[in-house]
Amino acid sequence: MADQKIITVENVSKTFPKVVAVNNLSFEVEAQTCFGCLGPNGAGKSTMMNIIYGKCTRDEKPASRMSIFGYDPKHQELQIKYLSGVVPQDNNLDDELNVIQNLMIYSKFYNIPDKLARERIAYLLDFLELGEKTNSRITELSGGMKRRLVIARALLNNPRLLILDEPTTGLDPQVRHLIWDKLRLLKKEGTTILLTTHYMEEAFQICDTVMIMHNGQRIIEGPPRDLLAKHIEKYVLELPDAATLHDKFHENMPDHARMERVQHGMRLFSNDYDYLKMLAGSMAGENYYLRQTNLEDVFLKTTGRGLNETQ
Amino acid sequence: MKHSKPVVCPPLWWRLFAVWYRHMRVYTKNLFSNGLPPFLEPLLFLAGVGLGLGAYITQSMEGLSYLEFLGTGLLVTAAMFTAAFECSYGTFIRLEFDKVYDGMLAAPLTVNDLIVGEIIWAGTKGLFFSFAVLCILSIFGVIHLPYSLAAPLVGFLTGMMFAVISLLITSFVRTINQLNFYFTGFISPMFFFSGVVFPTSNLPHYIQPLVEIVPLTHSVRLVRAVCANHYGMIHLWDLFYIAAFILVIGFFAVRRLRGRMVS
Repeated sequence: MADQKIITVENVSKTFPKVVAVNNLSFEVEAQTCFGCLGPNGAGKSTMMNIIYGKCTRDEKPASRMSIFGYDPKHQELQIKYLSGVVPQDNNLDDELNVIQNLMIYSKFYNIPDKLARERIAYLLDFLELGEKTNSRITELSGGMKRRLVIARALLNNPRLLILDEPTTGLDPQVRHLIWDKLRLLKKEGTTILLTTHYMEEAFQICDTVMIMHNGQRIIEGPPRDLLAKHIEKYVLELPDAATLHDKFHENMPDHARMERVQHGMRLFSNDYDYLKMLAGSMAGENYYLRQTNLEDVFLKTTGRGLNETQ
Repeated sequence: MKHSKPVVCPPLWWRLFAVWYRHMRVYTKNLFSNGLPPFLEPLLFLAGVGLGLGAYITQSMEGLSYLEFLGTGLLVTAAMFTAAFECSYGTFIRLEFDKVYDGMLAAPLTVNDLIVGEIIWAGTKGLFFSFAVLCILSIFGVIHLPYSLAAPLVGFLTGMMFAVISLLITSFVRTINQLNFYFTGFISPMFFFSGVVFPTSNLPHYIQPLVEIVPLTHSVRLVRAVCANHYGMIHLWDLFYIAAFILVIGFFAVRRLRGRMVS
């Protein structure tokens, strides 16, 4: 299966009346990998997900190409949806039905025979640790349970591609880790995963490839560790209340260090741990935090610290 | 990469059935509160007209006693009301509040499947509501079997007609309260001016063409013909009108609603 492209997206754009949501975007997702889409709110992540399963149509111009399992969502959304499971950003479960009815009716949409559906549902509820909730009403479920139920719903037809739009937003750490574990397991079993997230930790934990988007465009893409190595220094010294020290540092900043001003303080980035440590030591009584850089630093560096109008 | 073997998606008829099945399951989940009122309403009507109002109306209408005249009309108005509510308030809630359609569109269903399935479901509800009226009316001897057994089929067509027009109206609605205008301005007047409560032949001449344009007129005329087992050429026109109405309005309803479900 290696090196097979499950998703190919070439030059796709999507213009809404007031905004260009996706701007000439191209990317590929290989089979049995997890591809993560990061970006500030309004970066076009959800729009891109929706275009892939036909919930949103891409612009006619410029000429673009899309292939998901060899199908084009413009003409073959049914085939794509039959092979994929979708976890939309909103839970949109059927409140008028209980847990098992939600899943039984959804399995009808795939034409799964009742007996098989029952077995599959029992397995999935167990897999997502919802077994005790089989006959619960949707309104009785917590946010984390609803999310897991939507994931179970997406897995009903043994999808080869799982599309998740912010699967863990607003969930507590226990549920988030549980979902990560399950996604890793699914990937091991051969499922290709495409997800969007705001959590850098999530991207780092489960994604093989990460794409950072901004204003509908790709900024950078690659394995999380490579992005760290390529796009940011190894260490950062954070000085949250050190605005007054700014000038002092500015004058004798060595070449290997980079300074970034934040609201009341600053951050000093460098590959030279000893240098940053020495600086930290020289700061009598000042609050400081010396740490390794992470994906969030790359994210902020590439997408900017300021808010735009859609955030 | 092309998928190794061709994917066999559920066929169209199955997808429509699955959508219909979803609505049926939701409806029958509260069988008592959903299934009983359709039988109670005609009972109330019988009591009101049979015990009260009917005594004052001794003139026959189109050759029928008033009880029979109004009763046969109710066979289709029951279908009209249920379909109109289902595909206006019901649809709007599924579309905007509960986001049920968004959930369903993540499954192998198209917007067309969703809406056509819903129209067929509204027809089914129309059939059931007509059937409930039929049961009560025939128990009390107001209408006669076996011919009137076919009346629920007219209820089915009536349900579909009011489904498509309600869906089309709903596609324009931004807040749910705007639907009030639809019921006060369109559905209620139709109840009075389509030959259900009194024959339209007595209405002023300049209103006659209007009567012929609105959908309920054709349902009422057709259902009375069914109950009396007495047909004429005009009923062929009614059937044609109903079929054309469902197809044409349905086409625009699907097109408009697609714009609200797929961006």
